[in-house]
Formats: sequence, structure tokens, C-alpha cells
Amino acid sequence: MSGVRLSGVTKDFGTVSVIPSLDLDISEGEFVVIVGPSGCGKSTTLRMIAGLEPVTSGSIFIAGKDVTWAPPKQRDIAMVFQSYALYPHMNVAGNMSFALRLARTPREEVRSRVQRAAEMLELTDYLDRRPRDLSGGQRQRVAMGRAIVRDAYCFLFDEPLSNLDAKLRSAMRTELAILHKKLDRTMIYVTHDQIEAMTMADRIVIMDRGIVQQIGSPRDVYNAPVNRFVAGFIGSPAMNFLDGEIIGGDTPAVAGDGFNLKLSGRQAEAARSHRNHRVTIGLRPEHFNVSGAGGTEASVFAPIELEVQVAEYIGSSQFIAARIRDVPITASIEVGPDSAPLKSGEYQFDTSRIYLFDRESGEAIARP
Amino acid sequence: MSPFRHKSNVFGHYATLIVLALITLIPIWVMVSTGFKNDVLVQQKEPVWFLFVPTIENYEYIMNRGKFDRYLWNSIIVGVGSTVFTLVFGGFCAYALARTEFRGRVLVANSTLLVRMVPPAVLAVPAFAMVVNFGLDNDRAVLIFFYTALNLPFAIWLLFGFYKQIPVELEEAAIVDGASPMQVFVRVLLPLMTSGYAVAGIFTFRISWNEFILALLLTSRKTRTLPVGAAGFITDTGVEWGRIMAMGTLIVIPPLLFTFFAARQIIAGMTAGAVKG
Repeated sequence: MSGVRLSGVTKDFGTVSVIPSLDLDISEGEFVVIVGPSGCGKSTTLRMIAGLEPVTSGSIFIAGKDVTWAPPKQRDIAMVFQSYALYPHMNVAGNMSFALRLARTPREEVRSRVQRAAEMLELTDYLDRRPRDLSGGQRQRVAMGRAIVRDAYCFLFDEPLSNLDAKLRSAMRTELAILHKKLDRTMIYVTHDQIEAMTMADRIVIMDRGIVQQIGSPRDVYNAPVNRFVAGFIGSPAMNFLDGEIIGGDTPAVAGDGFNLKLSGRQAEAARSHRNHRVTIGLRPEHFNVSGAGGTEASVFAPIELEVQVAEYIGSSQFIAARIRDVPITASIEVGPDSAPLKSGEYQFDTSRIYLFDRESGEAIARP
Repeated sequence: MSPFRHKSNVFGHYATLIVLALITLIPIWVMVSTGFKNDVLVQQKEPVWFLFVPTIENYEYIMNRGKFDRYLWNSIIVGVGSTVFTLVFGGFCAYALARTEFRGRVLVANSTLLVRMVPPAVLAVPAFAMVVNFGLDNDRAVLIFFYTALNLPFAIWLLFGFYKQIPVELEEAAIVDGASPMQVFVRVLLPLMTSGYAVAGIFTFRISWNEFILALLLTSRKTRTLPVGAAGFITDTGVEWGRIMAMGTLIVIPPLLFTFFAARQIIAGMTAGAVKG
């Protein structure tokens, strides 16, 4: 059994249980992103894997070895910190080679490994600079370099991109994905940014209040969220939620204040068999469209009235902030670059794309 | 940014600075010049500020008959000893305070300063009684002990501030990189703490070096420090100002050298630093 495995791991801080029970299986070479809102226990999980935080109970295995009580040194891991944590008194080469020097690696090998990592990260011109003379993006790279040089079994990333500006962040995302391909190492990446999770992960672990909500590929968690939390967390802009009720017997519809959407297919089937009539309806912003627009073969359109407050022009599509009665709705509508600002009125929604959740438990009843 | 916001204020600022500089420098000049005056000049009613024929007879006396070398040696041992102990123990304590979380931590760190507000004179009598009872008077170790105790609070408070500026992630990064606790301290923390230790060292050394009352009470002929030695020129037959001032001038030199040396470390520490990314 290789990879990284957490088995029944719990963590309490004093009387507060941060992680009630966590089981996680990460295969060797996999890129797993743990994502969730702040305080959900994702960083604590990472720190427990790193050995910086002791577990309250449970076991952690890395590469098949029980490392639950092993110090970080013996876990064969490298970590990139959110604040980079570069040693300010050492230059870039010194920072990258610190671990190797501690391990008394022969000098020649240290040099060649630092050189190789620096080339990979385009840092060769900066090797004798101090961290404070570097830009944010360069520091970020040095932090990565420090991890790469180690050639560890597992790489841990604790929100490494959150201090970068938007443009640099998306560039580093790509680089990280490429890096993962090149190094072919197990990587565990913690973030609160679902875009980072979606773009880089082989598998996403979504956590909330210390509990894993869903584990799956980006496609799975986007298309088939198991509950309302996951549905609302994954996807940008976020999914719209409307409280409604299932009405009609054989030809069911969901209706609420200001809307009435006839269901068909899978959604209709689920609505017929679901006992609780009170549901939450999930509508992804990208599935709204102007009236009369075409869709795929499976599309079944239902009219929906939107009171548009602002329409943001962003090129080929428009983001609209609207309302259905009192409920705010965001929609992203593809209307082409020459379109006029969208106005209030009738829009259409593809009802084959409706998500239904039980209003009490939040569990998904039906999905596209 | 220049602290002088308005040009019109520059004159006022300089005037203030000059006055402050004079207040500091005049006593020093009185000390240095008096040390080079003979008795007649010193006792003269109208003080001579600059125009007099300097003599080194006071220095000759101190060097040849004043046991200056013995006092100097005692002072160096006591000053360096208490500074080393203060920095080592104060550093440990400050580190522990900065890194452990408990309720009232900052209060503890700051209230160490309260101890500092007790003047040594208040402690003199009980200290004397204790030391005599233990039969430890006339031992330089006793002075080192008391000076360390007196200096620790301030050193802890100061170093606490410096340690708190170093992000924990740096230590964690080093731990993940495979460093042992000792390696974390020596290779990551210490280089970043040079400024802090230099500042604390300057203060501790100067206070130990200058302290008079405890040294007067707790030392004898053999263990006397320089300030006590200087006070020896206050005799039954009068105050020998020339010799006192000459000795004062000599006493000032080692802390000056020490401060210059330590100040370099402050600058070195600052250029190494920029801890925050």
C-alpha cells in the first residue's frame, strides 16, 4: 500500500473538535486538492500529514509506513507554506539547499540539484539574491524550489498562491500542474479557492466543519455534488438556491415565490418518488439563457422571470445580478460581444440542468 | 520620509537638537577636562573651560597606585559574565514566552518590566544581609548573580518583542527541512536575532558596568569594580576630583567600544532581516 493514507484521524484543540473523524486515501503520484471555507480543518489536516501538528487519534501512513508519531524529518515530505517562510538571511541558493546541507549531502550534488531546480523554475539568475530582493512571484518560486530540491515522496502545499495577484496566480496554477507532471510525485494541496481546486486536481476533497463532504474528480464534484454545500462551493459564479415545493402528481414541477419550473426526465422522476415536498432548487448561473435561445438535444426550457439589477459586460457573455422576488440570482449568459445590456423580463432555464436538494438535510435528490 | 514636514521648522528642530546635544556633552567635557587638570586648577573658584595646560598626573597616579588594573579586571568579569548569563537565560525565557500560547502571556512578558522599576538601592540592604549570611560577600559571582537578576526582566521583554517578529513558519519550514531543534535555533533563529541580542547586550553590559550601590556593598578590596574604585578618591581629607574624573574618563571607554561593536551587529541583523515577506 503506497501513497498517503489517513485512517480515523481526529483532532481536538482543547475541548473543540476540529476534525471529528477523517479517512482519506491518496494514491501515489496523485494531485489531491483539499478545499473548503476557512476554519474547515483543511490546513490542520495538512499539518498533521506534515507532522507539525499531532493527531488526537487515528493513524497516518506515508508510502505504506505508519508515520503517525514520526517527526517531519522522517516522513519524506516537502512543504510549501502560504507565507513562503523563506529564510531571510540566506540567499536563494541557500534557501533551496538548506535541507540538503542539513542532510550532509555532498557539495557537488547539492549544487547540481539546486541548479536543476532553479532551471525548472527559471530562477538561475537570482540564486545569490536575498528573498527580500525578490518579487512575490519569485519568492513563491523559491519556496517551490526549496521543496523540489528535496525530491521528497510527497509534496504538501498550504495555500501557496493566495498571496499572489490574480494574473500571477493563474500562471502559477499552470506551472504547478506542469510541475506535477514532470515530477510525478504525490501532491496534496490545500486551498479555499475552488478554481485552484478545479484546475489542478486529479481529485478534490471538499471539507466543511472538519468533515469530508465529497471526494471526487473535478467533473464529479461539479456535475454530481452530493449535497447543497458542495454544490454551492464548487462552480464560479456560485450556484443559485431557491426554496420551493414540489407540486403536481404525474407531471411534477417545482414552484415557489415568483417561479414555476416544470420538471422532466430525471428530475421529474426524483420529484415523484421523493416524500418531502419542501426542496431547495439549485440553478447554475451558466444554465440561464435569453428566451428563445437553443440548447442541446436534452434541453428542456422553462420560462423564468428575472428582475435584472445590473448587467456586467465581460465580452462574449454578460454577468447579471438579478432577483426573483427577494432572492438574489446571478446568471452568466452568453449573448455575444455585440449585445446590448440585458434587461428585466423573461429568460429561460434548461430544466434538465436543475439540481434538487432536500431542504432539511441538504442532500441532493436530483441532478442533471 | 523626512520627519521634518515643513521647511520653516528646520531651524527650530536644529535648535532643539543642539540644546539637547549640549546638555549631554557639557558634563562629559567637564569630566574629561577635569581629569587633565592639576589640583590647583580644579579647586579654583572660577572654572576654566578650555584654556589650561593639561597634565597627566591624575592618570599616572591611577595607573601606578590606584590598582586600576585589578578594578578593571573585576569590572570586565562582572560585566561580561552578567551579560552572557542575561542573554542566554533571557533569550530562552523570551523564546518560550513568544512561542507558547497561554492566557495572559503578553501580560507576563510586559510585567517583567515591573521588576525593572525597582531601584537597586531598595534591594541593597536585603541583598547585603543575605549575602553576608551566606558568607558570599567579596565574591565576584555574587555581583554577576545580582546583575543578571536585575537585567533579566528588561532583556526578556526586549527579546520577547524580537522573537515575536519571527514567524513560526520559518521554524516549521526548517523542521520540515529536517533540522533538529538545536539546528533550528542556531541556523535560523540566531542569525535573525543578532539585532535583538546586540541591543539587549548593550543595555545589560552598560548597566552592569555602571552599577554602584550593590557593588559598593558587596565587594571588598579584592573584588571592587571600577565605579567603586573611583569612589575611593572621596577621602577623609577631601574629594580628589581630578583623579575621580580621570578614572571616570577611563571607565567610559570599554562600554563605548562594546556599544560600537554591538551596534554593528544591529545593522548586520537589520540587513539580514526583513523577516516579513
